[in-house]
Amino acid sequence: MIRWISGLLIINGLIWPTHAETLQFYAWGGSPQVNQYLEWVSEQTQQQFDITVNHVKLADTSDAVSRVLAEKAAGNHSNGNVDLIWINGENFAAMDKHGLLHKNWVSELAHFTLTNPTRNRNMTMDFGIPTNGQEAPWGKAAMVFYFNQRYLSRPPANASALLAFARQHPGRFAYPLPTDYLGISFIKYIALTLSTIEKEQLYQPVTESALDAVTVPLFDYLDKLHPYLWQQGEFFVRQASRLQQLFADNSLLLSFSFTAAEIPAAVSRYDLPLSTRTYAMQDGSLSNVHFIGITYNSAHKSDAMKVVNFLLSPQAQAKKQRVSVWGDETVLDMTRLTQDQQKLFAVDNRHPSSLPPAGHHVLLAEPHTSWTDALRKAWFARYGEHL
Amino acid sequence: MFAATLSLSRWIFILALIVPVGAGVLGVILPALSYFPAIGETEFSLDAFDALGAVQSLPYMIALSLFTGLSATFLALFGTLAMLAVFYQTTGLQWIQRLLSPVLVIPHAAAAIAVGFLIAPSGWPVRLISPALTGWSLPPVFSPLHDAMGIAVIVALTLKALPFILLMALSVLAQPHLSARLNKQLNLAVTMGYHPASTFLKVAWPMLYPAIRLPVIAMLAFATANVEIPLVLGPGSPPTLAVAVLQWFNHIDITMRLQASAAACLQVVVTCSAVLFWLLSERVGAGLISRWQLDGNRVTAARTLKGVAVVTVLGILTAVMLMLASLTVWSFAAHWPFPQALPDAITVLHWASGLTSMQTPLTNTLLLAVPVSLGAVLLSILVLEYEKQRDHCSKLTDKVSGDLLLFIPLLIPGVAFLFGLTWLAQLAQAGQWLPTYVSHFVYVLPYVFLSLAVAYRRFDERYRYVAYGLGASPYNVFVRVTLPLLSAPIAIAFALGLAISFSQYLATLLPGAGAIATITTESVAVSAGGSRRLSAVYTLMQMILPLAGFVLAWWLPAKWFNPAVHSR
Repeated sequence: MIRWISGLLIINGLIWPTHAETLQFYAWGGSPQVNQYLEWVSEQTQQQFDITVNHVKLADTSDAVSRVLAEKAAGNHSNGNVDLIWINGENFAAMDKHGLLHKNWVSELAHFTLTNPTRNRNMTMDFGIPTNGQEAPWGKAAMVFYFNQRYLSRPPANASALLAFARQHPGRFAYPLPTDYLGISFIKYIALTLSTIEKEQLYQPVTESALDAVTVPLFDYLDKLHPYLWQQGEFFVRQASRLQQLFADNSLLLSFSFTAAEIPAAVSRYDLPLSTRTYAMQDGSLSNVHFIGITYNSAHKSDAMKVVNFLLSPQAQAKKQRVSVWGDETVLDMTRLTQDQQKLFAVDNRHPSSLPPAGHHVLLAEPHTSWTDALRKAWFARYGEHL
Repeated sequence: MFAATLSLSRWIFILALIVPVGAGVLGVILPALSYFPAIGETEFSLDAFDALGAVQSLPYMIALSLFTGLSATFLALFGTLAMLAVFYQTTGLQWIQRLLSPVLVIPHAAAAIAVGFLIAPSGWPVRLISPALTGWSLPPVFSPLHDAMGIAVIVALTLKALPFILLMALSVLAQPHLSARLNKQLNLAVTMGYHPASTFLKVAWPMLYPAIRLPVIAMLAFATANVEIPLVLGPGSPPTLAVAVLQWFNHIDITMRLQASAAACLQVVVTCSAVLFWLLSERVGAGLISRWQLDGNRVTAARTLKGVAVVTVLGILTAVMLMLASLTVWSFAAHWPFPQALPDAITVLHWASGLTSMQTPLTNTLLLAVPVSLGAVLLSILVLEYEKQRDHCSKLTDKVSGDLLLFIPLLIPGVAFLFGLTWLAQLAQAGQWLPTYVSHFVYVLPYVFLSLAVAYRRFDERYRYVAYGLGASPYNVFVRVTLPLLSAPIAIAFALGLAISFSQYLATLLPGAGAIATITTESVAVSAGGSRRLSAVYTLMQMILPLAGFVLAWWLPAKWFNPAVHSR
């Protein structure tokens, strides 16, 4: 259906040459909240710059990637259908590899400096691959921990405190199998905070010596942690969502998630206790960012940059972060904003269980993509087959 | 024309049972021998078996499959024996039958999830005694869930196996010629001073067991190869072999399919070994009973049987009641901190959101179950009618010749042939719905046929003779006499077909490539999700659906086909 509609839209665009001020924004369309937000964006850009943003709703972002690739193969280098595209991770890696994105435009955006890219390196790294100014950060997801305040007044604030917590409260913490994204994320978090090697190596393709250097402290830590995990570390949950259920049972006193907004939502649905509190680790929160790219063959690059700059504006970012709108966390660094701009992000009725504003201390960028598989394999080699 | 349809139906029946299973097994043997063109493997070799052999925990997986399957089957059989020995010829047995029949139609996945609710460290039993008796203000850290020995798996398997074996035994005992003979022998033994329970063990059991042997072995085959229950309740390192097969098939690395196929073949061997072991144990049991028969002891095992019977009855009834109550309470619960026995408040939020998200799965469930059950009922009736007409003049035999054939899908582990079937369906580009219909049909047909065969066998032939005598054609006799008189058993068989189709997990998940969500597949998915409350809603729905089918099956024929109503 979505492909059919987008097909129609493209035919439409071919028959009636679109006005220069209409941009085609190819973005996943599976969430009504996201779709509504993009409608609001289009209204705003029409008012401010006389640019219409047409959201081409994708079922799978890789469809758009293959479309641009096909255009390149067909020699359409200057009048592509796709102007803006919402991507990260694998899809970015593919577009980067095939040279499908416009380069070195992001630093020209006035609002990009508000993301404080020198301090927050995930603004310019997408799963370990440098963005080279091909895509601008739009929103982010970061690992948050949550604890039950009824039983725990001070949750562990870093990896070593987490181990101490586990010893003090045996069986009250768990992480999923590394085949689950949250499970491998936990391992990455420990690896990033404990490894003694140059951090740079984690953002390059994995090598055997680098992996050994990382896994020695990692497994030393996990060896100590496992006996104190839920089920003595003999059974690992297969899906991250199961952690929430165990936490709701009070079987776990500490758990973690990659979507901070889901925790207050679960409390409101009675699926987490009222005494649930969300926080971030002081030694860093593993985070990944989702980006917006401009295709190399877009005919409207300067207009597209105007729109991206608007998407990075405090106004647009604050709107997006509101739980009632989308709940997607801003990429802007609060320290870079004026008092008035910070006020935009203040929430009147903050849910007691949600992450406090500016709750993240340090954001840890995802290691290079190749580390994911290497760490997962090493984990299973060490701790045996878990199915 | 009618005669041709009947004999054709016989062939369709045989093919429907043999072809999908046979093709499925072939479809798993080829990749096990490293023939898998999709990933460029076209050379036959034993590499996949070598890879499987290199899995360190393989012996434990096999041992766990054997241990859980054999223990559950033995416990269920022993429980059945004890209950029959103690309650046979008493009104208690009718009560047990009435109370346990609904358990039979609870899907395995639902039973596993419900047992999980009960034995969870934060489950109701623990809450009821905490903190008063235990001093626990938090759920205990040790838990019988996911234990390495598979005890939780055995509990759930037994809970499902026992009603099945008991009801099979009761249907045998209800056969008039058998029960008449049996009752005389039992009464004679009792007048000789034997305790009724010992009498049953020494006299009735040796006659009864051979009649329920095939269902018991089917149960054993199922228990050693089941996926849903160990997936929800079992350990993970190592899991049972069947769960390992499933996880390897779903592995991101598609070359793991070869190892998974080899493991699926091994699963067949494991199941066969369990059956062989069972057959050997039968001899030991038979030797023991024949020694007891002659030792003159009037009270052999009477006390043990009584104890086991009481424990079994009370255990199962308490478990079932607690499971239902706890699922119901969870499905309406607002916040419910441990160790409170009851939630802070009740809400219909979970039912509202559950019923909204259930619409597609519910439609899919019915789209699968209704045509499959209708087809199975129709085919079974035609085959039974064919056999009846064929045996018209010969002596009416108790054994329907297709009986052994019917157990093929029940004896060959689903993990072995369903994967192969799915692979072949993908090769043939048959889509998702057609293979799913086929795999559901394979499982529904045996139960529908067995259920209808009982009614057909008991059918009073004199009605048909009178109709023939009045000059009616075979077709007219079939449509105007046999079918209306059998409307109640046909409705029950249809409801049974629905229940079996509703409960299919693997047979939906694999051929449907995960794209056809039913209540059962969704329920297993939701049970691993974040909301225990939503899981309770789905599990209850899984139980309500088949029961609704049976209630309709009892009620509709009485309303529509009751001659007394029509004659008015």
